[in-house]
Amino acid sequence: MHLFQIKLYRILSIACLAGYIWLYFNLSNFYSKYTSQIGVCLFKRVTSIPCPACGITRSILSILQGNLLQAFYWNPFGFLLLAVLILTPIWLVIDAITKKNSLLTFYVAVEKKLQQKLVAIPAIALVLINWFWNIHKDL
Amino acid sequence: MEANKVDMFIMSNAKFFESHQLHIIRDRLVTIDDSKWVMVSTAQFKDPSTSLIISIIGGHFGVDRFVIGDTGLGIAKLLTCGGLGIWTVIDWFMIQGATREKNMQMLQQFLY
Repeated sequence: MHLFQIKLYRILSIACLAGYIWLYFNLSNFYSKYTSQIGVCLFKRVTSIPCPACGITRSILSILQGNLLQAFYWNPFGFLLLAVLILTPIWLVIDAITKKNSLLTFYVAVEKKLQQKLVAIPAIALVLINWFWNIHKDL
Repeated sequence: MEANKVDMFIMSNAKFFESHQLHIIRDRLVTIDDSKWVMVSTAQFKDPSTSLIISIIGGHFGVDRFVIGDTGLGIAKLLTCGGLGIWTVIDWFMIQGATREKNMQMLQQFLY
């Protein structure tokens, strides 16, 4: 269990760091000037159909500018991801200071909950509906 | 448990585990009680080759992680465009090891 904790915390910190670097590039002019034509989504590049997560970056940028309705239009999952992006580093630091594993306990509990059919089926449906909406919006 | 039963189990299930774990599994299986044989022999392990195929096809949406039971990481992959496409590629190489590790975790529930 201890090994798993180290692994999970490492993945989470790398993911959060990558997320913040990605956001920084999007907020600075660098991205909009040079790379806005490229786009990062592999699936969209190959099939030209947006994937379920397309638009989350634009959604988070809209939230940061205070434009919540526009953020919801780009992708509703932006709210979820921004919350995770803010909470996870704080939680990691608290766990490191107090030498506890509360984040791991929470993660395992959420994972167990999501594997129940009653929670999993609505969640899958939600993702699929959002995906169809993404395709309809042609992000 | 009888040695020939254990050897049969090891032979038919060797591909589901890391090779360095096989000795530990064998030693442990020989010492445990015979009543656990039914559970151990009927356990459904995930095939690393299958999860590699799933990872190549659906890795961008985190399907590979969902299949081996890593629901949390699967959602993380799904909501970040496969970790900006980088995590997808990394997992093509990591997923087989991750599957074997999951199998080992599952077997450990019976062994201890």
